[in-house]
Amino acid sequence: MKYTPRLPERNSNVSHEHPLREFLVLVTGTVALFAVIFIGMGLLVDIAVRYIDPELEATLFSSFESNDVLVLNEQEQALQLLMDQLSSCMEIGYPVDIRIEASPHANAYAMPGGVVVVHSALLEQIKTENGLAFVLAHELAHYQNRDHLRGMGRSVVLLATSVVLTGAGSDVSSLLTPVFGAEIAQHSQSRESGADASALGALQCHYGHVGGATEFFALIAETGAAADWYLAHYFASHPQALQRIDDVNQTAISEGYQKGELQDLPSALRL
Amino acid sequence: MIDLYILLALVVTGYVVGQFLEKRHYRSIYEREAELVAIPTTSSKRPIGPIPDQVRAQLVEGACVISVDYFKRFVAGLRQIFGGNVRSYETLVDRSRREAILRLKESCANADQIINLRIETSSITKGKRGQVGAIEIHAYATALYFYSQ
Repeated sequence: MKYTPRLPERNSNVSHEHPLREFLVLVTGTVALFAVIFIGMGLLVDIAVRYIDPELEATLFSSFESNDVLVLNEQEQALQLLMDQLSSCMEIGYPVDIRIEASPHANAYAMPGGVVVVHSALLEQIKTENGLAFVLAHELAHYQNRDHLRGMGRSVVLLATSVVLTGAGSDVSSLLTPVFGAEIAQHSQSRESGADASALGALQCHYGHVGGATEFFALIAETGAAADWYLAHYFASHPQALQRIDDVNQTAISEGYQKGELQDLPSALRL
Repeated sequence: MIDLYILLALVVTGYVVGQFLEKRHYRSIYEREAELVAIPTTSSKRPIGPIPDQVRAQLVEGACVISVDYFKRFVAGLRQIFGGNVRSYETLVDRSRREAILRLKESCANADQIINLRIETSSITKGKRGQVGAIEIHAYATALYFYSQ
């Protein structure tokens, strides 16, 4: 046998397809697969929320009490009174409690289980009762629409889908979580806009006008709390402050609401 | 969001740098394979053709460790969802195997034949989370040196 040294003409052990082609096919497939699962599960969350009545919600989330609570009975009682007056305009359907939490960021949020948490900085910085009432009515509107459960449900679905299919902390979940996080944020923005419109109605019902409705957003815009970097608003769950001022004003005009005299924040509500 | 930017930066860097290094490595492999192709190399236990009376046999080996770049690892991660041919790792294994054999041949460039060639593959990182995978390829064989009377 004669040995003839020769190299193979073609390397059959490696694929000769362009690596970016496989990358694009796989990324498109993965995002499409997750989109179908995520959107489907999101719709199931919306259906499930209808079956969670206030009592069940209170039981499920009874451990969601805020830890860092200031015991300021006088302020909390005054806030509770204002919120009860507003909720009588909104047909919430279940009792909502209020808590004040020490925080340097002016904000308020609705917790599952029917607790509105107001940050102490909000009471320090807001000037009028009308402005504060709008914030409280906005949070009440979230309960009215069960937004807090929808938002939480979607976040849980995203986390669970991502972890089950790709493993926690994997590269693929780092790709998918922000992509669908943006979808969650967009969904959340529409809920925030809806809550603004409901809060405006509550203000009109309680005070007979909607003056002071935009005070909180103006405060956010002044302090620069609203992110203004490019694309940030797609990922922010709250539409940017100036945009929300415009939207609230537009809603007020289209609903025929008028602006009237503002009431100073009562001393009982001041910290 | 910052996770996404870091991920994209790593994937793009992995692709650009990884492709450059891979092309450069393949160029080197082609050149060196052409230089060393004349040494008959087989996995057979017996030499090819007639052998002289005096032969010196020597154990020779070549090993190399090659790491996968971030782009390839990411694509392989996506591939795990759907299954199928993990194309992004093919060049990693192919380059490692050929590099190990080339190093083996370079260690005995004057040998008349290389027989009994064996190749072992082992994973360095054992798939630990957060580590970029690397493989070691170890080639070993018997180099034969023929001496005429």
